[in-house]
Amino acid sequence: MKAIEVRELKKYYKEVKAVDGVSFDVEEGEFFGFLGPNGAGKSTTIRILTTLTKPTSGQALVAGHNVVREGKKVRSMIGLVSDKLILYNRLTVLENLFFFGRLYNIDKKTMMERAEELLTMLDLWDRRNTQAGKLSTGMKQKVNIARALLPRPKILFLDEPTIGLDPITTRKIRDFVKYLNEEGMTIVYTTHLLHEAETLCDRVAIINRGKIVALDTPRNLKRLFTEREVVEFELDKPVEMEMDCCRVLENAGNYYKVETTDLSKFVEELGKLPVKVRYIKSEEPSLEDIFVRIAGGE
Amino acid sequence: MKHTLHIAWKDLLFLLRSPGMMVAFLLFPIVMMLMLSYVFPKQPSQQMEGKIGVVSQDPAFSVFAKGKNVLYYKSLEELARGLMRDEVLVGVLVPEGFTKGFLKGEAKLKVIPNPKNPQMAVMMAQTVPNMMQAPSLSTTKRLEVELSGVDGGKFNYYDFTAPGLMAMIAILSVSTGLAAAITRERELGTLDGIMVAPISRGSIVVGKVLAQVARGIVQAMLILAVSMLFFNVHMVGSIWNVILLLILGTFSFIGIGVIVTAGMKSQETAQLMISMINFPMMFFSGVFFPIEQMPKFAHYISKVLPLTYAADALRNVMILGAGISEIWIDVVVLLGFAVTTSSLATMMFPKLVKD
Repeated sequence: MKAIEVRELKKYYKEVKAVDGVSFDVEEGEFFGFLGPNGAGKSTTIRILTTLTKPTSGQALVAGHNVVREGKKVRSMIGLVSDKLILYNRLTVLENLFFFGRLYNIDKKTMMERAEELLTMLDLWDRRNTQAGKLSTGMKQKVNIARALLPRPKILFLDEPTIGLDPITTRKIRDFVKYLNEEGMTIVYTTHLLHEAETLCDRVAIINRGKIVALDTPRNLKRLFTEREVVEFELDKPVEMEMDCCRVLENAGNYYKVETTDLSKFVEELGKLPVKVRYIKSEEPSLEDIFVRIAGGE
Repeated sequence: MKHTLHIAWKDLLFLLRSPGMMVAFLLFPIVMMLMLSYVFPKQPSQQMEGKIGVVSQDPAFSVFAKGKNVLYYKSLEELARGLMRDEVLVGVLVPEGFTKGFLKGEAKLKVIPNPKNPQMAVMMAQTVPNMMQAPSLSTTKRLEVELSGVDGGKFNYYDFTAPGLMAMIAILSVSTGLAAAITRERELGTLDGIMVAPISRGSIVVGKVLAQVARGIVQAMLILAVSMLFFNVHMVGSIWNVILLLILGTFSFIGIGVIVTAGMKSQETAQLMISMINFPMMFFSGVFFPIEQMPKFAHYISKVLPLTYAADALRNVMILGAGISEIWIDVVVLLGFAVTTSSLATMMFPKLVKD
């Protein structure tokens, strides 16, 4: 059985076609990503799949249940984490977990065991009696994730969970979600960061203006839109850049910006030069570029 | 100075951009003016419209004027019931030995005002001595009129204001509370957490309603406690009936906030609309001014306001000691309001949550 099956899903508002005929499947245990700019329809799709919004038309099965007709069954199988924290600032960390846990009929003892396990993993066990409002944004998001996981959902939806977080917390959350997926949980993850989707997901759907414009593994997708890559780097001394695999875009002293069609070959060539590399960064193609390219029929 | 005007203009522009706000904004002062100019008592024209109920505990008593305006009751309980049913505006209790005392020139009458209209009743009480027939006696002899409650306790004007205020606070505080609680959670995002749990939508609404009702009752109880401690208010009826009425009162109106908020585009407009309902309700429900003194149209308005029934029943319980059997009409009407507004509110809940 597929974890999620979506066919021709549409959600029209008065002026906007937020989701405009989306179809895809998510396999059980898969890490599935939605990649798209703000307003692309990622959140609306998640809200339909989590029964928070009714679709205008089309069909969606989550864990084998229809999101419209069997909302309650769907809800008992899923967890939701979004950038809007589902936490009460006036309640302590534990009180928050228990309040939401009770809605799933979990008994107090089990809740306590799971809370300890989750909070320990997320380095928050010693903050369990702190009011959520007094925690940092990163800690709040961790508690928010623990809240979603307490009922042991089969499918976890994460809607831009790392937005506005510091790099360390972002890393921690990504690792933790990856770990959950390795333990067998199906993950649906939305982001507007290309590299986040690339490192985490088994498959990525690129969504723009309510339509899925590409759906494949990150590797295959990358091939689609990275024939050329831009690399910035700084050397310990200026050097003559004469390789056939790259073209210099910018040069100021030790600083270079080049364009290459073959990144690995370029790195190899760079290593052969009699200089030390102080700094190197490969610039990702911007999402806009990708959308323009994909929408343009490439 | 330039910036000041600039900022002021921006704020006014916001008002202009929201048609709902604009309508409410223009209507509010007009409605208020019309209302307030009618609710204040116009005394001269309607001075003596109520009847007087008389109970005599003195077998020798016979001096009271007989007339269309006087009703006789056999007992104090019957008089209390007469007051509850608004048959009479004031009750007069002729105590034992009144006639004897009257002859000696030191008679005492107890006058019990109807809680619905204490001001008028007090005015009327002043005229009671004049209605006594005292043919053989000079009128210079003293006749003392003492205002009292049905239980013989001292008359206290606060007795009359406390029940109305309690009902009002309980009802008004919940009218916006429920909708505000839901929209706040929606904006914070926490509502999603509840909505995404495998529970029924109904239990969300009912749970929130219960919290609001509890709030309303605690506030009303605070008024009761303060009135009793600092204003010597005493309560004749049962506290359980009071609580029952407060619960019914809050329930009767709790849905209104949800209905209005769901119907309006913005939270701001909804708030304004709700206060446009709340203000007239305060004035037309007889909490501050007796309905009898208002023009006819106000009587009709008062009939569709749950606060009218809650305040009336609460007064009858607290001041006249009414039991359920005497206030059942109010109870049924409040229940009717409660069922109607709550089911409408539950139906409109999805609209409030929006997508």
